[in-house]
Amino acid sequence: MSLSRSSIRAAAKFSVRPSALLLPRAAVCQTRSAATTTKTSDAEAYSLLVEQRKKRPIAPHLSIYEPQLTWYMSAANRVTGVALAGSFYLFGISYALSPYIGFHVESAAIAGAFATLPLAAKMAVKATFATPFVYHSMNGLRHLTWDTARQLTIKGVYRTGYAVLAATAVGSVYLSFFV
Amino acid sequence: MSMLRTGLRAAPKARVFSTTATRAILPAGPQVIDGTVNDAAKIPETNPTHGSYHWSFERLISVALVPLTVAPFAAGSLHPITDAVLGATLVMHSHIGFQNCIVDYIPHRKYPKSLKAAKWALNGATAVVLYGLYEFETNDVGITEACKRIWKA
Repeated sequence: MSLSRSSIRAAAKFSVRPSALLLPRAAVCQTRSAATTTKTSDAEAYSLLVEQRKKRPIAPHLSIYEPQLTWYMSAANRVTGVALAGSFYLFGISYALSPYIGFHVESAAIAGAFATLPLAAKMAVKATFATPFVYHSMNGLRHLTWDTARQLTIKGVYRTGYAVLAATAVGSVYLSFFV
Repeated sequence: MSMLRTGLRAAPKARVFSTTATRAILPAGPQVIDGTVNDAAKIPETNPTHGSYHWSFERLISVALVPLTVAPFAAGSLHPITDAVLGATLVMHSHIGFQNCIVDYIPHRKYPKSLKAAKWALNGATAVVLYGLYEFETNDVGITEACKRIWKA
């Protein structure tokens, strides 16, 4: 099957048609350069196609979907989970490798460093860790509720969703400022 | 049969097919074509270990984490063995969560090698974290006590 493809011409040159009486015959016609063709093998043409496909735009998804509590909370569940698990893994790996790197991450070292921070910084750090922890735990309970086939309606999803947000606010304030 | 193709000139400045700004979060991945349009869709092979047993185990770990997480707050401090069980269950829960992310964001059809590499990298990381947790429980004070000391410092 032959594939002939005409390239999009950025500018087709048109010369203004001069008066036939005043100029020599050669200048009367339009000038327009013809599309050039070259012979390519199947493999070359396929690789060209692949290159062109890479330049094509991707259909929007996250940027155009109506913001809703459902998928925002689901995304937040994953983001908080990855953040908490990522910090946990980082700490575990750094503690395991600390003898070989000479880095001090014992609990006494971290507690000592934390104690030197000003009160506002301490509250900020505590809130940064407490909020994702409480949100992920409460949303985890919400998921387990769904796994018992309860609250699996639109109303139920929104009801439990708002309950999780309220519990997160209360729990994170309590843990950050009153513990 | 040789293909005839037109010479590729520089692309025109105006984008012909869209009027809104292009906002690519990530570039398009490799364009993979499997077989022809006449091939039947592949049905993945069923395996309960990766199917329903995996789901049940995931929920079991999540349910187990509920009393394990409440206990430190209720009791103040934990017996070292309970603390170790909490730590190991947390690691398993994190491992399953990371597995879900990897499977969701690295599709097998487009990135088969990266998927395999990511899965094995996660296994390696989990092994190191489990060893680090063991060292932390034996050489240091344990998760509950450490969190308490740092939080109240």
